[in-house]
Amino acid sequence: MARHNLGTVVQFEFTRTVKKRRFWIATLAIPVLLAIVFVLVFVSSSSAQNRTEQQKNQSLDFSYTDASQLIDPAVATAMGGRVETSPGTAVERVKEGKLNAYFSFPATITKEPVLVYGTDQGIFKNGTYDAVAKQLVILSAQEKVGSAELTAAVQGNFSTEAQTFKDGQPSGGLETVVPPLLFLVLFYVVIILLANQMLASTLEEKENRVTEMILTTLDPTTLVVGKVISLFLVGAVQALVFSTPMLLGYVFFRGQLAIPDFDLSALQFQFLPMLVGALLFIGGFILFTGVLVGIGAVMPTAKDAASVFAPVMIMMFVPFYVVTLVVSDPGSMIVQVFTYFPFTAPITAILRNAFGSLNGVSAVIVIAELFVFGLLALRVAVHLFRYGSIEYSRKLSLRRAFTKKG
Amino acid sequence: MNAAAPLIHIHDFHIHFGSKKVIEGLSFDVARGETFGFLGSNGSGKTTTIRALLGIYRPTSGTLEINGKVFSDDFGSRLGYLPEERGLYKKESVLDVMTYFGRLKGLSKQNAQAFSRQYLDRVDLVNKADVRVDKLSGGEQQKIQLGVTIMNEPELLILDEPTKGFDPVNRRLLMDIIEERKEAGATVMMVTHQMEEVERLCDRIILLKDGRAEAYGTIDEVQNQFGGRTIKLKYSGNLPTSSHYKVALHETNYAELSVDESIDEAQILKELVLAGVVVRGFVAAKRSLDDIFIQIYGEEVAVGSTGTAPAGNTQGPVK
Repeated sequence: MARHNLGTVVQFEFTRTVKKRRFWIATLAIPVLLAIVFVLVFVSSSSAQNRTEQQKNQSLDFSYTDASQLIDPAVATAMGGRVETSPGTAVERVKEGKLNAYFSFPATITKEPVLVYGTDQGIFKNGTYDAVAKQLVILSAQEKVGSAELTAAVQGNFSTEAQTFKDGQPSGGLETVVPPLLFLVLFYVVIILLANQMLASTLEEKENRVTEMILTTLDPTTLVVGKVISLFLVGAVQALVFSTPMLLGYVFFRGQLAIPDFDLSALQFQFLPMLVGALLFIGGFILFTGVLVGIGAVMPTAKDAASVFAPVMIMMFVPFYVVTLVVSDPGSMIVQVFTYFPFTAPITAILRNAFGSLNGVSAVIVIAELFVFGLLALRVAVHLFRYGSIEYSRKLSLRRAFTKKG
Repeated sequence: MNAAAPLIHIHDFHIHFGSKKVIEGLSFDVARGETFGFLGSNGSGKTTTIRALLGIYRPTSGTLEINGKVFSDDFGSRLGYLPEERGLYKKESVLDVMTYFGRLKGLSKQNAQAFSRQYLDRVDLVNKADVRVDKLSGGEQQKIQLGVTIMNEPELLILDEPTKGFDPVNRRLLMDIIEERKEAGATVMMVTHQMEEVERLCDRIILLKDGRAEAYGTIDEVQNQFGGRTIKLKYSGNLPTSSHYKVALHETNYAELSVDESIDEAQILKELVLAGVVVRGFVAAKRSLDDIFIQIYGEEVAVGSTGTAPAGNTQGPVK
């Protein structure tokens, strides 16, 4: 009956979570917030772009003096400018509103600033003066160089494509680092989203006094595994809901949302790093699940459990504080400790695996350690659940739990 | 499985929690189709025994079997268990909770829902099928609890202090359910402190004290084991003290006297009349279970008793 009951538990736990209005409010809050932010970015980005374009191409009534000899009079005229005939009074005339704008180009524009004076047109439109002055210099310089290629080269407007080799094979760059790092994102999302739910779910039988009725119809392992699977499914639904607006934004509004143009087709999914990443993720998930179930079984209420749960979460994410060392100096003592200490191992090892500094032997040791500790934690957790969950309003004494010959 | 073999068989059962010996060498059987009373004061080990029988605790040593096997969740589909600590998933609807338990007990979703609706109709809660459990009153939740317990039409019903916290309506419902299951041939094992329920429902009983059996058998056998009788006396005048009886219950113009087996009832009557008591009613009967219970657990229950005096500290026979 165990398999039938596993399905029943998964269905019950999953359905009752996703049927709750509270779940959808919490789940949809993030994409709705993201959508609002995206819309704001989109609107601001579009208006800023339009304004810049308008400002760049606007014909502005201005006068100028050019000590640098860089400015091309024809370009300046085309942009609405004329050479100032009485520079001594130009600034005064601008002050009095008799002259719209006056630019003073110094002898060496790389050493001295271009002085820009203009009549006030509001905080946003005032930027036009600065934009026109800069554009005038750029266009005049292009005219002098006489080559768009050279101008682009000087401005650094070109791309490079690098290829490195390791052991005779292309070693890849960021394209090989990103795919295994997806497991880090996955691990982070799963634990952050599900940890509290896992704790609450484990405590539920105890808080509702249904443990004995459940334990006489169901093996505790089936119940715990059923809860873990259903929460994983709940997490998948949440991840899907969260990622949908991001995917839509990336595919359809990348330019408007100022999302970096990252060519996904360039990503290289290498078998071994992906396999190691997946195993580290699964091992880490089992370990933390076991620990959370154990905490839930021992503590009488969610509030009590939270005080024990917090240090576990801190331990888990503490490797992020030394992430620069993990990347730049994986041999350092602290990184080595974090790599092999079970609670810090998942994140440290996934990072090192992605950046190529986790060798085969270390990977095997960490994976084995996570699975062994994880399964051990789950086994202990099931035992604690069996006895802890009938200590309804008391904290379970571990000594007593393990003398019950479970 | 031999139909004559007991459904529940417990032999030389010991359970220790650390250095605390909770049960010491307990042995008893529950026959198929009988209603068995499991009695004892608080802390005597009744709930621990049931939990060990149902695999929630593991025994230190001994045999605990249901239907010839150690309990596993496979038998869960044939068991109806109402624990002492009881509750329901409070944030779910009544129908969802009942369907879930029905499915765990091996019913199909359709059958679980059909049973639930039928039961809810019986207890006038059919219009609350989609209401969250925590929105129901305490009494309504008790009804759902009972429904969950019997929804697989169990062949073994284990009830741990079933009337604890029940209002009279639900107590009546529970009694009806027990009668129905008995008529259907189910075996019932119940832990209770309600002696009138035991006398009305139980075929056999066991009395547990400090993890040991104090008495075991049919109600008649237990009454015979402890001997003595109770005289129910209606009278006027002053009730004299006597070495021939103990006053077990004393109200205005009414008393229950515990009398030793060796004392003749006529002698008591004569003694009362000679002392000037006007006897208006005089009925001698075997000692009630209440009386025996108080005798066994006298010192323990006296602290919380409601005026019922202990009838002595004579130890009954131990199996």
